[in-house]
Amino acid sequence: MQDAENVAVPEAAEERAEPGQQQPAAEPPPDEGCCGPRGPALRRRQGQRPLVRRWRSRRPGRSRRARPRESGLGTSAPTAGAQAASEDAGGNEGSAAEAEPRALENGDADEPSFSDPEDFVDDVSEEELLGDVLKDRPQEADGIDSVIVVDNVPQVGPDRLEKLKNVIHKIFSKFGKITNDFYPEEDGKTKGYIFLEYASPAHAVDAVKNADGYKLDKQHTFRVNLFTDFDKYMTISDEWDIPEKQPFKDLGNLRYWLEEAECRDQYSVIFESGDRTSIFWNDVKDPVSIEERARWTETYVRWSPKGTYLATFHQRGIALWGGEKFKQIQRFSHQGVQLIDFSPCERYLVTFSPLMDTQDDPQAIIIWDILTGHKKRGFHCESSAHWPIFKWSHDGKFFARMTLDTLSIYETPSMGLLDKKSLKISGIKDFSWSPGGNIIAFWVPEDKDIPARVTLMQLPTRQEIRVRNLFNVVDCKLHWQKNGDYLCVKVDRTPKGTQGVVTNFEIFRMREKQVPVDVVEMKETIIAFAWEPNGSKFAVLHGEAPRISVSFYHVKNNGKIELIMWIVTREMFDKQQANTIFWSPQGQFVVLAGLRSMNGALAFVDTSDCTVMNIAEHYMASDVEWDPTGRYVVTSVSWWSHKVDNAYWLWTFQGRLLQKNNKDRFCQLLWRPRPPTLLSQEQIKQIKKDLKKYSKIFEQKDRLSQSKASKELVERRRTMMEDFRKYRKMAQELYMEQKNERLELRGGVDTDELDSNVDDWEEETIEFFVTEEIIPLGNQE
Amino acid sequence: MKPILLQGHERSITQIKYNREGDLLFTVAKDPIVNVWYSVNGERLGTYMGHTGAVWCVDADWDTKHVLTGSADNSCRLWDCETGKQLALLKTNSAVRTCGFDFGGNIIMFSTDKQMGYQCFVSFFDLRDPSQIDNNEPYMKIPCNDSKITSAVWGPLGECIIAGHESGELNQYSAKLFDSTTLEHQKTFRTERPVNSAALSPNYDHVVLGGGQEAMDVTTTSTRIGKFEARFFHLAFEEEFGRVKGHFGPINSVAFHPDGKSYSSGGEDGYVRIHYFDPQYFEFEFEA
Repeated sequence: MQDAENVAVPEAAEERAEPGQQQPAAEPPPDEGCCGPRGPALRRRQGQRPLVRRWRSRRPGRSRRARPRESGLGTSAPTAGAQAASEDAGGNEGSAAEAEPRALENGDADEPSFSDPEDFVDDVSEEELLGDVLKDRPQEADGIDSVIVVDNVPQVGPDRLEKLKNVIHKIFSKFGKITNDFYPEEDGKTKGYIFLEYASPAHAVDAVKNADGYKLDKQHTFRVNLFTDFDKYMTISDEWDIPEKQPFKDLGNLRYWLEEAECRDQYSVIFESGDRTSIFWNDVKDPVSIEERARWTETYVRWSPKGTYLATFHQRGIALWGGEKFKQIQRFSHQGVQLIDFSPCERYLVTFSPLMDTQDDPQAIIIWDILTGHKKRGFHCESSAHWPIFKWSHDGKFFARMTLDTLSIYETPSMGLLDKKSLKISGIKDFSWSPGGNIIAFWVPEDKDIPARVTLMQLPTRQEIRVRNLFNVVDCKLHWQKNGDYLCVKVDRTPKGTQGVVTNFEIFRMREKQVPVDVVEMKETIIAFAWEPNGSKFAVLHGEAPRISVSFYHVKNNGKIELIMWIVTREMFDKQQANTIFWSPQGQFVVLAGLRSMNGALAFVDTSDCTVMNIAEHYMASDVEWDPTGRYVVTSVSWWSHKVDNAYWLWTFQGRLLQKNNKDRFCQLLWRPRPPTLLSQEQIKQIKKDLKKYSKIFEQKDRLSQSKASKELVERRRTMMEDFRKYRKMAQELYMEQKNERLELRGGVDTDELDSNVDDWEEETIEFFVTEEIIPLGNQE
Repeated sequence: MKPILLQGHERSITQIKYNREGDLLFTVAKDPIVNVWYSVNGERLGTYMGHTGAVWCVDADWDTKHVLTGSADNSCRLWDCETGKQLALLKTNSAVRTCGFDFGGNIIMFSTDKQMGYQCFVSFFDLRDPSQIDNNEPYMKIPCNDSKITSAVWGPLGECIIAGHESGELNQYSAKLFDSTTLEHQKTFRTERPVNSAALSPNYDHVVLGGGQEAMDVTTTSTRIGKFEARFFHLAFEEEFGRVKGHFGPINSVAFHPDGKSYSSGGEDGYVRIHYFDPQYFEFEFEA
């Protein structure tokens, strides 16, 4: 290695030596004629020099520091100067190196000379050489980081100072060893603030974090700060710098789709096993494509709760799209993001990634501000949690998470804990926000003699508005009605003296005083439960696999809960079953579906007059999606659950099949949500009253578009038929031309028509033995 | 109308064919029996016994004197249609995949599989020259090196044959209609399952497609998902207007009766079904 270096250097150095000495400038002379090879040689040499240098400087017994001092030059010269200096040095170095191989060539056995020449100038800084070692060099500490300032300490005279010191010591030595304290005095009394010094800055930070706000007594609440913070806040200039105005980005009308004249809805479709994503207008005839992109997302997409944004997932993070052309609106960089959740107000985005989390920098869960794109706060992710880990209140003002024995409620926009404290609820199993107010419902299982209880808590006051005790509870599930009018707690119990689990529905009427509770007892196991979104009915699927029934209940104003409909699904479906309930977003109508293993049986039910409007089937359907207006339903077979017949079918709410859309490896269809209506209850009522008036207009429109559609179709067919006729005419002419050849080939027998050679026919009578049997085909009405 | 079920085979049907007048229906299957039926009521007229392996193909000449069959027992046989007597036995080196009479009924053609080291050949015999058959020497033999022929038919006047290859043009998922002289692609009929056979109606602008979930996957799927229906499309509009259920395996071969009033299908399930159309079929018309 040494040889190679040393051999390489000389030839370069030789060439370089002359101009280097004549012209110590950084640039080589431009005359290329006489020194052609110089360019590349120079470059090579420069590239090699640090290597040579490093090797030299490690030589033992050489005082590197001594050199510059001898020559009287500083170690760190400015760039240009350094270059010039090194040119000089290089020249000399080269000549020195030049000598070495010669010595070797001569077969001289003497130790080669590794000495630097006399006037060698070392221009390598120490940081460059061993920066990694220097970094760990101990720093001189003045201890100022370990000092805290405590305010609101009682002002005492010398007589009680000792006692105060004792108390203070007791409180603050919890966080670490106090090495020094100082109680400033004035007129024989302490000033009300003190300084404490800890053994290490970490203790001081700990003390600030935990003792700030400590209540010593009624009058004295400690305010604890780091001493260094005072420095920091002192230097803040009195003048307020106006932050630079961010240029306004015109994103267009993000809600343009609501202004569509036909009031159509949009939906997103992922197909080709996720390679392509499309957005369509839903239309009775055929979906109208708005946008189609390849590899728009890497996994799946999500719409924001009010439909403003479309979120796509990427290895590097989340992107939000919107506006008429689906331009990118915002990006959130979160490596390996897997799950997201929007706040209901669309102001914040919560993202989760299993990568990236470190002890001191929580990054597993990040809350982002959607408008600015800034990270608001990161959180650690406790294991065994279910997404969404953070649940948002209906207005996005609060969000909460549950950990062992605690419920932590945070507020926006500060992202801090509400009242700086989590709620200690030992044994808390589950919680849920009311969708209609800032009320949280949670339940705690039985603990020895204390019964299980369901609690409703008002926030931010933390007032418990209702507590219900329950006995022998195995499990509870909280189901809110969409407006927050009712809460149903499904309670599985094992009453004493009975075998097996009994299920009760505890219905909380939230809008009434004292929140009255009614109980519906169910005798069978529950498969599914669902509230009517804008009403007071709920549907329950219950029973064991071959005999599953559906029951509809109505919660009346007087609190009575009435069973209004009960059907055995098997009878309704002709031997098929249902396992899921899908209410129309507007209520009243419901689709009962037997998804996946239940072969895709569908029942469309009207709960207002308790009729089954239609029974249908989408074989192997895996998903049912109502459009946000409750006019259409989509059933689909996703490639994610089933590999063949991937398609989505569009139905009316009454169960009339409108379209079958087969898409290659179709994965997912999501309707674009709509924001809540701006109409008041009265206005809605008025519209419902005048429905006849409107429906006439709509019917006329429908007829127009229908006749237009059929006209278009007929037109298309007509042109196709025209083309086909032309083609057939041509083929027929050709066929006729060949007639003679055909006749010749078949010995003059005309076989063009089945009966063209009828004269040649021989009549042959064949007798068949037929037995007749009359089988009546069931009872036909 | 209730279909006529022909239960004459023990294995899956490979091909079915009407004679020119349509009174007879020839069926062959992966068993060694060749059956001929009265198409009017499904009574079996007789069988042609002799093959010792699966029979891949069958054809009758225009005046229904002769029947030609090709089999995996490495032979192609010529039969007297009426008596069932074997007139000729043409030995080959590998299985016979397709066979056919030309328009005049004098020249026969058959193709052999690329198999056991032998390559795929198309052989031509002239029946008017008995020495060719006696010596088993075709007057013409076209080797086909690339990929084997899975299907071959004579051109309209016997001046050429059109062959479909294993790696061929015919898309598995969609039946395509080609102009027979220019071989230009005319129409595509889309289905979501493989198509094994297609036939044109002689007097309506209809095409029937037979197919379904591939036979090897059938055991893992129910009949409903397999889509073993015969599907009717309008020839010009490429629009589907009807389906006929019945088979419980994929349909391997479909054929229209020459009068267009019935059609037959032969399936992997071993059954041949003769369907006579209901009056609605003839009344149905696309709005155009």
